[in-house]
Amino acid sequence: MILYDYILSPSCYKVRLMAALIGAPLELRPVDFHPGKEHLGEDLLALNPAGSIPILVDGDLILSESAAMLAYLAGQYAPDWLGEETATSRAMVQQWLAFAHRLTAALGGARLVEMLHGQGDLEALQTAGIAALRELEAALFKRRLDGGTWLVGESITIADVACFPYVALAPDGSISLDPYPSIRLWMRALRGQAGFVEMPGIHRRHELAPDPLTPAEGA
Amino acid sequence: MIDAWYPVGLISGLTREGRETLLMEQPITVRAGKTGKPEVVTADGRSLPIVERFGHVWTSLGTPEKDLFTIPEADHPERVLVDVGVVRVKCSPLRAVENFLDIAHFPFVHTDILGAEPHTEVEKYDVKIREEEDEVWATKVKFFQPQAAKSAEEGITTEYMYRVPSPTSSVLYKTCPPRPGEWDVICLFVQPLTETLCDVWPWMALFDEDTSMTDLIHFQQLIFLQDRSILENQIPARLPLDPGMETPTRADLTSIAYRRWLKQHGYTYGAELVAQ
Amino acid sequence: MRLNASSPWIPLALSGDIPNGTVIPATLCSKPIAIWRSQSGQVNANGNRCPHRGMRLSHGFVRGETLSCIYHGWRFGQDGACQHIPAHPDVVPPASINCGPLQVAEQDGVIWVAEDQVESQPPRLDGLKPLRSLVFCAEPEAILTASGGTEVDLGVEATLAGTRICLLLQGQAPAETLCLVLVDQATSPKACAEISRALEGIRRRAEGETEKRGAA
Repeated sequence: MILYDYILSPSCYKVRLMAALIGAPLELRPVDFHPGKEHLGEDLLALNPAGSIPILVDGDLILSESAAMLAYLAGQYAPDWLGEETATSRAMVQQWLAFAHRLTAALGGARLVEMLHGQGDLEALQTAGIAALRELEAALFKRRLDGGTWLVGESITIADVACFPYVALAPDGSISLDPYPSIRLWMRALRGQAGFVEMPGIHRRHELAPDPLTPAEGA
Repeated sequence: MIDAWYPVGLISGLTREGRETLLMEQPITVRAGKTGKPEVVTADGRSLPIVERFGHVWTSLGTPEKDLFTIPEADHPERVLVDVGVVRVKCSPLRAVENFLDIAHFPFVHTDILGAEPHTEVEKYDVKIREEEDEVWATKVKFFQPQAAKSAEEGITTEYMYRVPSPTSSVLYKTCPPRPGEWDVICLFVQPLTETLCDVWPWMALFDEDTSMTDLIHFQQLIFLQDRSILENQIPARLPLDPGMETPTRADLTSIAYRRWLKQHGYTYGAELVAQ
Repeated sequence: MRLNASSPWIPLALSGDIPNGTVIPATLCSKPIAIWRSQSGQVNANGNRCPHRGMRLSHGFVRGETLSCIYHGWRFGQDGACQHIPAHPDVVPPASINCGPLQVAEQDGVIWVAEDQVESQPPRLDGLKPLRSLVFCAEPEAILTASGGTEVDLGVEATLAGTRICLLLQGQAPAETLCLVLVDQATSPKACAEISRALEGIRRRAEGETEKRGAA
């Protein structure tokens, strides 16, 4: 399985993160997105005429939507991550995967403008981004009331992985995460998952590593 | 300050229609002229002086007294020259440079790449303001690096030299495992848009025949973007030049010299002068 | 409502939003601060600025009973004093290096911070339990109007979805108000969810009102 990847792309990171969390093998093929614009070159347009990355290639299968890649990885290696097999659960996972597109458009759009010389109406993108974050905060608060941590059901699903990157990187687009305590706790839980990998802008939880000032047990 | 040279774009990224940007709050357009040569013009049509060097277009709003600095080591024909691109950061241009001069943050910000706990100690190194060249230099800087190269299984102690040849540029010389005795050259060129906003153009001249250009670009983008979330969260945004507001230690000798050098030159763009 | 506006204690967060081993950013009288809870459960507050390079400590991490800065790992104790500088592991940091500790109290599920040393305890919030915290892009007056409630010390008391609620309001910046929502102790989880939804409506109305005023 080959992922056409860019280290600074939150959508590529979704797929890398998913693979790391479930232990799926993934071969990375770096794409010179900036400054080289390789994604708009003939070779990559032949794979994905939309000119976007990530692209996931597994044999004859070519995927160009990150949500589909998450579903494919989970389906292959960790079916539990697709959510429970009930109509409600399946629908809720789809709901959040679709919601993740709004996060990409708004938070990702603001990030491109603020960080990588992208074009766009920054204020409109930020307003849309804040509206989406408030929806997410309200939903996660409701989950906390029910004793839950994740977006859907009792355990983490592809819905959480799909929404996490652009939310965590909202500050890159000058959108503060300070007002959202439930989002903060949800991100912390995700960052604490075994196998979690970081990307620039998302720090790892150093407290999970051994404290060099405390002698290791049994030492 | 307006007489210094500043990077404003990649030579390889020039277009005829040009790119509008800012230099110290002044709107400018950077474009390829009719002959393909770069041009930089202000909003009122004034043409600014140009230097093409290190893959970038450099300009100045004033009248530079001296030529843009050189990096003789980078001229070696076998070096791979890497245009890393640009990243916008909401911070003082001086904070961006100061962070580049710092090694003590490696274990916490570039974890498992440039540093890792428990190898956090910064040993004594030499810092000097070289009067003749009018540059800040730090030498004999050593730090434990957990993964010096992709093939390396164990960490090694890497040696660095840091050089500040102009207020918003810094050059890092780093030991080069494939070529003992040579130094890899990694630069940070900062374009001050305002006192608290900058475009950062990293650039490298390396001895590396094995790694692909894209991998080299991604590695440097990865490292610099890890710094971005730090740089955007320092209070105050502008770099305090007066002692008192921030507490340096022996590990910060380069930063202390850099701040002193800026103050000697009256370089206050992006700086905070009065202790609060 | 027995809240005392003359109290030096300022309500800045809900206990449930800061589990053990976490740190959050907050605003005390328009000054950025960090509130953190140690591994053993002790709540602390200090300036949100590492004395080394000014990095926001709310980006840091909690190890045991200490808060570490994410930038260079400088480590601070509950008294705000710097305990450890990783770049110089064998040096004992001078006592003068600290991150500006603040007085903090945890009571009735609310975390209170005081700017200056105080002897008193924070006011009690009898019969109420914390629900959630929200930030309104609106002035407190607009929130009062939108809630249809009455002004009390430190905030607003109102009835929402048939339940008594209390909004502790704290201006953080112009047209930005932190709102800690408490509800009657006996409120069921179902009613809590209903109130949470209704609060979003209050926020929409309050912010709409603020925008209109801004336009006028």
